[in-house]
Amino acid sequence: MPSATLLGQALISGVLAGGMYGLLALGLSLSWGLLRLVNLSHFALAFLAAYLTYELGTTYHVAPWWAAAMIVPVMFLIGIAQHWLFDKFKVNELASLLITFSFAVILEVAIQLYWTADYRRFETHYSTMSIKAGPFYIPVLELALCMVAGVLAWGTWLWLRKTYVGKALRAAAEDADIAAAYGVDHKKLAYLLSGMGAAYAAIAGTFIALIATLAPTQIWAWLGVVFAVVIIGRLGNPLGALLAGMLIGASESIAMAVFEPAWAPVVSFSVLIAILLWDPEWL
Amino acid sequence: MADLLSVENLSAGYGRAVVLSDVAFRLGEGEALAVLGRNGVGKTTLLDTLVGVTRRFTGSIALGGREVGTLAPETRAGLGVGWVPQERNIFRSLSVQENLTAVARPGPWTLDRVFRLFPRLKERRQQSGASLSGGEQQMLAIGRALATNPRLLLLDEPTEGLAPIIVQELLAALTRLLREEKLAAIIVEQHAQKILPITDRALILERGRIVHQSDSAALLADPMPLERFLGVTGR
Repeated sequence: MPSATLLGQALISGVLAGGMYGLLALGLSLSWGLLRLVNLSHFALAFLAAYLTYELGTTYHVAPWWAAAMIVPVMFLIGIAQHWLFDKFKVNELASLLITFSFAVILEVAIQLYWTADYRRFETHYSTMSIKAGPFYIPVLELALCMVAGVLAWGTWLWLRKTYVGKALRAAAEDADIAAAYGVDHKKLAYLLSGMGAAYAAIAGTFIALIATLAPTQIWAWLGVVFAVVIIGRLGNPLGALLAGMLIGASESIAMAVFEPAWAPVVSFSVLIAILLWDPEWL
Repeated sequence: MADLLSVENLSAGYGRAVVLSDVAFRLGEGEALAVLGRNGVGKTTLLDTLVGVTRRFTGSIALGGREVGTLAPETRAGLGVGWVPQERNIFRSLSVQENLTAVARPGPWTLDRVFRLFPRLKERRQQSGASLSGGEQQMLAIGRALATNPRLLLLDEPTEGLAPIIVQELLAALTRLLREEKLAAIIVEQHAQKILPITDRALILERGRIVHQSDSAALLADPMPLERFLGVTGR
């Protein structure tokens, strides 16, 4: 059995790593839950943003936050353009999964053509910085990521609950035809939400550039676990996505510390199966 | 009285099926119209066509002099068509208050005013729509339509399937809306005796066509058409 300190450190690292799951899950959860579109290109857009952050940082020496300030609005527009396509061709839930999977593969190829398949790392002086709290180390970047994810998840949750637009979106997600008959223009709202989802992917991408080693195939590395997080956190629930991300991150990390690293995915998918068996209407 | 709604030569249905044929009627500002008929004669289709959720084949629907028959449901709602569907279709995952505020538009019908009309909704404002009883769901469906501040309220069998005491409560609220507030409304009902006293005029549908139009009071005084087309007496 590992020591209490090791378990504590594993818990902290897991929760912080789960912040990235939550941040990636946020946009996916919104489009799946509120628009009934399963957007796999979300991962590819996040990686495109990561590569752009890397490129701007290494070639033009642009600080990551300035890179994000440039990339996020562009991604917002890409999200809107993608939804225009879905809207024009009346894409349904299953077709959206297949089409966005194809988008993601195409983007992967495009990234590979431009940046090659080599591993790339965006080194910054703060990438290895950490705060010491008692016997534990808290990496600064992961902490910042969790804070950004927390602000976005909480802000989006409040926006969905307190604003007219947010409530109208939830009403349209439940019954688009009835909402329309009460004057809710859910098509316009869907464009806004798609743009937001892509913008969230861009924010996640900025952190991916700073924290992870980039390679085109890495687009798929988080897909499984983030899918589980989106479902465990409940579709369309931004706070649920973040909390589920942290829960899964922490469970994986503890499982790795207590057993061995190969056990990590078993935890997230066992939780997923248990939840869906316990409540089949969870989705 | 100026026409609020003018329907001419309207035929409509679902897919290729024609349910309504050559329907024409007018409704003045502040007037209430009862739409009567047996099951399956096209009453709900008429309201659905006014809302814009069916397929319109021919004819025109003018609201306040503006043709709305070609407009999307959300645009019609913006121009003042308020709908209380037969199935109520409240947003079950939203709270009572959110159901009202998600679709609210500025106008005299504020949240407080809806709560004054239906105090039960105020008591349950934080509860989810799914937790309401049938009667409360109907109150919420009416309140939600009022929150859009409609010029014309369309009610589809508002008392169907509800306990008598709830029906009384709802009819009292509807009486207030139609008689005191003078809200223009079209009410679809199978039970003529419930709504003829609170409406100005009535029409009877039979197999998708209007077979009788008169003042509600005249129909109450001489229920022959009711007996003929509905197989019931007006009392």
